[in-house]
Amino acid sequence: MRAASITFISLALTTAVVGNAFYHKKQFYPSVVYITKSNPSMAVIYIQALVVVVLMGKLMQKVFFGQLRAAEFEHLADRSWYAVTETCLAFTLFRDDFAPRFVAQFILLLFLKAFHWLAEDRVDFMERSPIISWLFHFRIISLMCVLSLLDTYFVSHAYHSTVSGGASAQIVFGFEYMILLMIVVNIVIKYVLHTIDLNSDNPWDNKAVILLYTEVVMGMFKVVLYFTFLIIMVRIFTLPLFLFRPMYYTLRSFRKAINDVILSRRAIRNMNTLYPDATPEELSAADNVCIICREEMHSASKKLPCNHIFHTSCLRSWFQRQQTCPTCRLNILRIPSDRNTAPNQPAGAEAQAQPDVPPAPHPGLPNPFMNGVFPGMFPFWQQPFNMQPPNQAAAAPQPGQPGQQQQQPPSASAGPSAGPAAGPAAGPGTMPAPPFPPMPPGFGLPFFCPPFPPAPVPPPFAVPAPMPPPGLATLSEEELSRLESAARDGVAARLQCLQNIQQLLDAAVLLMQQYSNAAATAAAATPVPSFAPTSPSSVPSSSASSPSPSSTSGVDKPSSGLLGAGAVKHDTK
Amino acid sequence: MAGSALRRLMAEYKQLTLNPPEGIIAGPINEENFFEWEALITGPEGTCFEGGVFPAKLVFPSDYPLSPPKMQFTCEMFHPNIYADGRVCISILHAPGDDPMGYESSAERWSPVQSVEKILLSVVSMLAEPNDESGANVDAAKMWREDRAEFNRIAERIVRKTLGLS
Ligand SMILES: [Zn+2]
Ligand SMILES: [Zn+2]
Repeated sequence: MRAASITFISLALTTAVVGNAFYHKKQFYPSVVYITKSNPSMAVIYIQALVVVVLMGKLMQKVFFGQLRAAEFEHLADRSWYAVTETCLAFTLFRDDFAPRFVAQFILLLFLKAFHWLAEDRVDFMERSPIISWLFHFRIISLMCVLSLLDTYFVSHAYHSTVSGGASAQIVFGFEYMILLMIVVNIVIKYVLHTIDLNSDNPWDNKAVILLYTEVVMGMFKVVLYFTFLIIMVRIFTLPLFLFRPMYYTLRSFRKAINDVILSRRAIRNMNTLYPDATPEELSAADNVCIICREEMHSASKKLPCNHIFHTSCLRSWFQRQQTCPTCRLNILRIPSDRNTAPNQPAGAEAQAQPDVPPAPHPGLPNPFMNGVFPGMFPFWQQPFNMQPPNQAAAAPQPGQPGQQQQQPPSASAGPSAGPAAGPAAGPGTMPAPPFPPMPPGFGLPFFCPPFPPAPVPPPFAVPAPMPPPGLATLSEEELSRLESAARDGVAARLQCLQNIQQLLDAAVLLMQQYSNAAATAAAATPVPSFAPTSPSSVPSSSASSPSPSSTSGVDKPSSGLLGAGAVKHDTK
Repeated sequence: MAGSALRRLMAEYKQLTLNPPEGIIAGPINEENFFEWEALITGPEGTCFEGGVFPAKLVFPSDYPLSPPKMQFTCEMFHPNIYADGRVCISILHAPGDDPMGYESSAERWSPVQSVEKILLSVVSMLAEPNDESGANVDAAKMWREDRAEFNRIAERIVRKTLGLS
């Protein structure tokens, strides 16, 4: 309604101006001269021209798009606002060229830009609607033809005028239309891909990948174009401020496109190497609906370590965003492979198993498996079984300081809290007998000096829990009497044991510091570092003969927790 | 063949029309565009929102179900977990990784296993039991904690308004 009244008023004013001129001058040329000489008349004529342009736009919109959707309209309004601001900035740069003709060219450019944006939105809409009519195809194809012809014409026009007339504002137009031409190419590629997809009978899994690569290639062209233009502008005129916002967005989307391709490649690689295909029996099981797309799985499905099955293509696109199982949120990066289930795995094998796992997604967090922390740690948790128990055993039945000795080792350790005095029924029963008869004290000492490497982010609990002393029941009478003796070596054994305890406490303090550091880092990385429960299959099967099931999982979980935290942080970007 | 996001949304729509959960109606605003839905949620019984019928809009991203939809009430709402402009702030609508409030565990975040139905059911339980630790609407959270009677009065006014009574 308002638009109609503006149109009407503008038309009336123009009629009045033109009529007035003819009334005074009677002839065509004198009237034209009269109008161009009078500023108010020219203002009216300009307004009329603008109204005509808007009306043309509405007409073209009706022809090529029909009714605009609300989202399209909002999008258009947002982008127009920025485009107008940038145009004003560009005007300041070309103050000398400021002329009606120049303004008209800018308005035409804005006008055509709007149609490119709308076409982009429309082609994206193809993926959203189940109803794509022949009219839609006709409109898009004809619009693409018109836009590409116009863009090419203006590019060549700018080129010729620059070659013949030297550098001028025409460079800006030439460049802008070149960018628009690229947008057209991008839209056409998308349109063709969507059309092929719509007309095929089966889901086209590779379309997403092709689109990703298209984005990268087009993004690269655009970035090159922007930089070329920037250099030209700086050399000929001055720093083009109006260019910075679109350039920033182009760079950003280019970076995102490259990132997407990298993530996608990694997801595909993981899929192909880490997870087995689901067998036909698994697929024919009762509930074989893929939770991602809610469609039945007949082929091309993968099984995750948690036994959840998904379409390969669905899982790939999900892994591009998240390295977790969609159903149970098991962090797949935490599960290296089935090899982990072997108890007492040698440190070397553990370290070798890791490289198969994709690298920690966040480069800022060092991968604890890569910087040599773990190889140094593993022998360390293997040693105490052999070395510590004799020391503890030697000290255990001390009558002199029972309280101190029986409470401190458990408090220093995260392991089972069975002190020697707890009797044969508790902890000691599950512990293996000391592999060696009591040894000269101090033999195991070097292994208690924790070789804390200066790791930037040491994995919490990387230091294994020291072994609790073996039970009283397993000591022979002879050994006991030796421990009780007041002779020199008996006292030395007791002193040694106290020193060991002190070192254990020191180690525990260090451990706590490292843990709090790691926790602080993890908290900075993600607000909620969640330690999701690991599925039973992931925990190393702990047989009774395995001396350290708790310390094994203690080493495994937190370190992969760091990886998981890294993954979460990565996704926020 | 249509894209996977569209196929899944159509499947969910079919499921919702065949087996509608109690007190919830949802579907595309326009069957030409399955990525914008409208939902009607009835206030849960026994709460201050009982009896109200609250319209909301759901907008799905083009990579649904990999990313969560956005949900916004289109009527006036006064609730600790609903922004003044109607946007709903519950963890199921947040992708793992973005945590505006910093208190949600990733276990209750969005994942493809969720669905429109689960979102709407979560919203119903959110209406019944506001989480006053998340400050989408700080005033409402404060009032919910400190002046329940006033909160109930406002809720009742909103309920009457959604029914066109006042
Ligand atoms: Zn699937
Ligand atoms: Zn799973």
